[in-house]
Amino acid sequence: MIQFDQVTKRYPGGNEALKNLSFAIDSGEMVFLAGHSGAGKSTLLKLIAGIERATSGGVLVNGQNLSKLRPSQLPYVRQHIGLVFQDHKILFDRPVFDNVMLPLNIIGFDRRDAAKRVRAALDKVGLLGKEKAMPIHLSGGEQQRLCIARAVVHRPSILLADEPSANLDRAYALDIMELFKSFHQVGVTVLISAHDETLMEDYGRRIIRLREGQFAA
Amino acid sequence: MKHFLYLHALSARQALVKILRQPFGSLLSLLMLSVALALPLVLYLGVESTQTWVGKLTATPQISLFMELSAEDADLAAVKSSLASHPKVKSFSFVGKAEALAGLERRNGLDGLAEGLDSNPLPDAFVVTPATPEPRELEMLQKELSGLPMVESAQFDANWAKRLFGMVELTRHLTLFLGAALGLALVLVTHNTIRMQILAHRDEIEVSKLIGATDSFIRRPFLYHALWQGVLAGLIAWGLTSWLVASANPAVREFARLYNEQLELRPLAPLELLAMIAATGLLAMLGARLAANHHLRQIEPR
Repeated sequence: MIQFDQVTKRYPGGNEALKNLSFAIDSGEMVFLAGHSGAGKSTLLKLIAGIERATSGGVLVNGQNLSKLRPSQLPYVRQHIGLVFQDHKILFDRPVFDNVMLPLNIIGFDRRDAAKRVRAALDKVGLLGKEKAMPIHLSGGEQQRLCIARAVVHRPSILLADEPSANLDRAYALDIMELFKSFHQVGVTVLISAHDETLMEDYGRRIIRLREGQFAA
Repeated sequence: MKHFLYLHALSARQALVKILRQPFGSLLSLLMLSVALALPLVLYLGVESTQTWVGKLTATPQISLFMELSAEDADLAAVKSSLASHPKVKSFSFVGKAEALAGLERRNGLDGLAEGLDSNPLPDAFVVTPATPEPRELEMLQKELSGLPMVESAQFDANWAKRLFGMVELTRHLTLFLGAALGLALVLVTHNTIRMQILAHRDEIEVSKLIGATDSFIRRPFLYHALWQGVLAGLIAWGLTSWLVASANPAVREFARLYNEQLELRPLAPLELLAMIAATGLLAMLGARLAANHHLRQIEPR
């Protein structure tokens, strides 16, 4: 499903974020990504989503080598990926419902079924009653859950979450983790990064630990 | 396919709503565009309306042959016969002095003019239609005819019409030039509008790209925004022009009546309107496309 083959990422200016990294994540697996800030977690996720390109090595997602992909093909890879951002990246100019609708419009989902899908996703994250609310009126935790609803509404095969619980208190963070677990249980490949390892250890899943762009011992 | 059409309909509707929701800002740029478009449009209608009329005048050049006031019937008969046998004269008609005076009375509403005059001041005249429209031969014919005995002068009627025709031609060139210049202005103004729109929707564009939106998906609403702007500006320009034509026509008719002519500005024909709207819409989309190509590339998610 996701395969890194001797991947190195060097940013302009010489900073090496990832150094010769190789690993694979199977379809349907749930994996945690741990490490301090600056260890390369975000860069790794960005390479999978095609937001950054590897300086050398191959990044395979759903059998496609992103390093060799033409830019015009990138959108079609991203349509199979759900992204959850630390800063949510919600659009504040439209209500909750329209935010979640956006991915369905992009992939060309039948519009009669789309509203049902949106409500199902909102129900899943516990925001069904707030579909008409403007995002600015949501709490931080609710905004994060809105971001998750948008990431899963088109049922991607891969879900990537970059520090989804970073700004939340522990109870909220656990809620969010449970959400991700439920997606994993229906077959989605889930990759979650966090700098707080105590949240991960309870789940007994594989943890990829990074330090300065390499696997930590 | 159905979804494709749905997306287009959705973008078109949302873009129109967006324009209508900010009536003041949109109206300003729309008005600016439509006034700019109305200018060549009015010129075009002016040229089109006068040119058929002017063309009619110059297409049938005529030479008026005025006889001396003292000319006798024998002199008239002599001129008549030389005209009849001249190879470059296609046809001619005789306008006697009495007939000319009656015509003057009739046309200008000067009834009773003849009674107030001691004698008829008008000369006998021949109206000659030459066999050739070639200007140099016409000139030679005019000289030749003015040399006939007892002929006072031979006047070439089309001279002033030629000058008018030249002016109309000049105005037509001016119209073309203005049309091209303001078409370019339309492209540039839309380019700028869409550039601002793109910068204002930076977040949305970035998020859409992250979610897997293709370039055409992102571009579509902006192209429709431009299309509406072009079409609306064209329609307003049409309205302005129609209003101008309607309000100017009484004056134009009155002016033409002074010269015993019938002339009025015509409104834009349906096909012309259609062509103009299509042109403004396409030019606006061209501007939007250029802006989108340039600025959408700069917005990449980080």
